[in-house]
Amino acid sequence: MEFWQNVTLGFGVAATPMNLVLCLVGVFLGTIIGVLPGIGPMTGVALLIPLTFSLTPTAAIILMAGIYYGAMYGGSTTSILVNTPGESASVVTCIDGYEMAKKGRAGPALAAAAIGSFVAGTFATLMLMIFGPWIAKIALNFGPPEFFSLMVAGLTVVTSLAGRSIVKALLSTFFGLAIATMGIDMQSGVPRFTFGNPELMDGLEFLTVAIGLFALCEVLVNLANMKEAAQERLSIKGGLWMSKEDWKRFIPSCIRGTLAGFFVGGIAGAGAAVASFVSYGLEKKVSKYRDELGKGAIEGVTGPESANNAAAGGALIHLLCLGIPGSGTTAIMLGALLMLGLQPGPLLFQQQPQFVWGLIASMYIGNVMLLVLNLPLVGMWVKLLDVPLYLLLNFIILFSFLGVYTMNNSAQDLFIMVGFGVIGYLMKRVDIPASPIILGIVLGKLMEEKMRQSLVISDGSMMIFLTRPISLFLLLMAVVSITNPYWKDIGRFFRRRFSAR
Amino acid sequence: MKLNKEERIASLVLIVGSLAYLGVGFLIPMPTLKQQLGPDAFPKAIGLGLLILSCIYAFQVFKSRELGRAKAEEIEKRAAIIGAEEKVEGRADLKTMGFMLSVMVLYAFLFEHLGYAISTFLAFMAGCLYLDRRHWVRDTVIAIIASFVLQYIFTVYLRVKLPAGPLSALGL
Repeated sequence: MEFWQNVTLGFGVAATPMNLVLCLVGVFLGTIIGVLPGIGPMTGVALLIPLTFSLTPTAAIILMAGIYYGAMYGGSTTSILVNTPGESASVVTCIDGYEMAKKGRAGPALAAAAIGSFVAGTFATLMLMIFGPWIAKIALNFGPPEFFSLMVAGLTVVTSLAGRSIVKALLSTFFGLAIATMGIDMQSGVPRFTFGNPELMDGLEFLTVAIGLFALCEVLVNLANMKEAAQERLSIKGGLWMSKEDWKRFIPSCIRGTLAGFFVGGIAGAGAAVASFVSYGLEKKVSKYRDELGKGAIEGVTGPESANNAAAGGALIHLLCLGIPGSGTTAIMLGALLMLGLQPGPLLFQQQPQFVWGLIASMYIGNVMLLVLNLPLVGMWVKLLDVPLYLLLNFIILFSFLGVYTMNNSAQDLFIMVGFGVIGYLMKRVDIPASPIILGIVLGKLMEEKMRQSLVISDGSMMIFLTRPISLFLLLMAVVSITNPYWKDIGRFFRRRFSAR
Repeated sequence: MKLNKEERIASLVLIVGSLAYLGVGFLIPMPTLKQQLGPDAFPKAIGLGLLILSCIYAFQVFKSRELGRAKAEEIEKRAAIIGAEEKVEGRADLKTMGFMLSVMVLYAFLFEHLGYAISTFLAFMAGCLYLDRRHWVRDTVIAIIASFVLQYIFTVYLRVKLPAGPLSALGL
């Protein structure tokens, strides 16, 4: 009964004309971001956050979720037609999608990607509706030690999946945590790392850092190598619709992709890129048509595209129910919500039902809008690739400045942003991933607060994190995830030892 | 080999940076009220973590041997699966980067002095003309829309105050 009440409440909030328009604007802008190479979902969401400043939190998250979803959809279009993924979760789609397009079957490939994404997105939203309140209820019993350990686990999962080297990814996370310590300490009122500068009293704004690290860094990376690679673009020949045979092959791979994606993204907390690869691997193992994979099989498009959207939806469960972002993009969304004065987490379902259920309902509406928008307008999306790179770069600079300045009306923030742009570029040169920094900044202050609260409870003993079972479990999970790249080496070491004996 | 040099410099910079952070962490004043965990504890722990990680990184870089082909392939395979960012390698066009970076710094400096519209117009045009001069008429029109028209829309319709600079005389 309560469930249906909530659903009605949600649709009541989402179906107001203003929120519908925002949802449409969000998915539209998101698709543009997804299509444009060079602007990933993270850069896109960061650049567009200033648009939400004048909105209510509910309207703001509806817009942001639309952008997030739209970007996930849009990335597949360029994978199929240009062989250039718009974002990392669409890399696998290139393999079979582009092959299908080369065979003159771009239409069915695009349709399979769009419908697969729709099914998966809707499924993930349904799961959020069913399990969200339940997870939130469990998390309500968490005390400060559990929350601290949960944040440690969240940070390590994302860190372990952030780059080629764990040491570099951890350096990046710690750098983010270090930035979070800047400003006045909330508990004692002592200024830290402010160097007497009154504008640093509030610490560094996460958005200034995010726009510098992603948007301006992307500009610098492109400037460093301006020779544009010639792109061979394939046109859409034939109809957009899938044949009966296509549908027959579509359905099982869509179900597999959705479930795999939801498991990887929603339960294991790994990102959409991992989900798409897991799904591709699954297709290679179990699909009836596995021999055709890599040569333009529809399963190679449906599976990964369903999986990455199910994972993107699943990541929102972590964000809304636990307040822990599962990826760089959701970390940026969390930062934006904190700026709007909302604290995502288990209490959200109780205290702000209109916010949570409004968002959930708008996700359904957004999914339908994307399906309607994506297929008929595909020709227009592809035309976006004609925007000259130098104009695009100048626009990114302009929007970065506009966004960062309007936040605090501070010119100092502009210099800090440019500084982080340079830092971001230098980090890219030495292959240190940037997304853990954002996670560190967003979670840092909260982590410190929970740690201090825990130590007040335990009278200063660190053992409190190990003696409480949930906290201990979460910390063990953190250890497991951070050591995961070394498992193979450890296994090899033991096998060698064992066989030597 | 060149990349290794960059990484060596990076690791040393990181060590110095974490030492500096840790040093400043020790200078954080203590509050008069005693707490279980003072305001300096968390920064010190992070500083120590940064220092240890930087040292491990430096050790890895300075002691690095050529990775076996199989091992390198394994790392790249994992990187592709987790969607790691692409490596930025090769020579950078430092002249273009330097010019555009100077434009950005100047833009930041002039943003309040000249106002949004004028500084944006100048920065946008400088960027466009430097990078591609063939379509200057089209680019000028775009620059005017992105600067003057956008300022008008922001100020009049969205009620977002952008610095007007000398244009404040026009009531913007």
